[in-house]
Amino acid sequence: MPALSPVMHVKLPAVGDDTDVPASHLGKALTIKGRLDSLGAVHVDGRVLGQIAADRLVVGAGGYVEGDIVANDVRIGGRFTGRIFARHVTLDSSADITGRVFHHTVTVAKGARIDGRMPWRPLNYFERLEHLREAQS
Amino acid sequence: MNMFSRTDKIVDPTAGGATAARDKVEAMPPSAVETKRPQAYAAPSDFASTPTRTASVISKALKITGQLESTEDIQVDGEVDGDVRGLSVKIGSSAKVKGTVYGEEVELAGTIDGKIEAKKVVLTSTAHMSGDILHQEIKIELGAYVDGHCRPEFGKVAGKSGHATVKPMAAAVTPVREKAITDKITEISPRA
Repeated sequence: MPALSPVMHVKLPAVGDDTDVPASHLGKALTIKGRLDSLGAVHVDGRVLGQIAADRLVVGAGGYVEGDIVANDVRIGGRFTGRIFARHVTLDSSADITGRVFHHTVTVAKGARIDGRMPWRPLNYFERLEHLREAQS
Repeated sequence: MNMFSRTDKIVDPTAGGATAARDKVEAMPPSAVETKRPQAYAAPSDFASTPTRTASVISKALKITGQLESTEDIQVDGEVDGDVRGLSVKIGSSAKVKGTVYGEEVELAGTIDGKIEAKKVVLTSTAHMSGDILHQEIKIELGAYVDGHCRPEFGKVAGKSGHATVKPMAAAVTPVREKAITDKITEISPRA
């Protein structure tokens, strides 16, 4: 295992873009059935049934996502069912999660409800995932 | 606001109460548990820069394959491969939609390859519309590209042309009651 300190900022290709790429906001009245692919940030307060690929994903306290999430950075404050593949995962105290959380670093707030496993993976695991994601889209 | 929805049994009744409760939490000394909450919600406020007036924004960096349904407004600047349903739907100049866009109001500045079904339709000068438009009112600006039929028939199929559609259908399905129904209709509309 190489030095751990730079790990937080190793290869997050889209983070720089994050500022010039406008964020998407899915309001609480919105339901999406299908795939979401974004280079930027996505904020979900509504419902998404399907796969999400984004640089940064936030599921707000009232949001609900069912499906797989592939992202650099994921923050969950709402309900989620499925799998998360992300380098950095934050689960807020209002989070309610069923499924698996594949992560490199994870933060869990007191009060978060988690039903499932949270396997750690090395960073290169997520790089491979991104290739996979490109192949899928 | 939504960040309090999990605890809204306690704080929601008045909006002022919610903010007051929040201030109170923030004003508290940094004890381990209580500060966790505002910290946890720090990031969503990053998104305050997105226009909050429109309920949903599909930015140009986002591509959606599937259906969107909302009872509120939608602003689409990205790519949608599927149907869009909303109250007031705005398709921005960088947007591409492949599918039907339904709404009370649809404003198109981008590209639609499919259909529009809306009460009020506005095609701006940068609009590129391939497909039919079902509307009640329409405005087409100079420079807009339209390839398809514009029909002022929004809402008529299910709703207001009641007599015309009901009469032959009823006749075909229930011939016994035909007379009674036609009698009724002649009563209602003297032209028959």
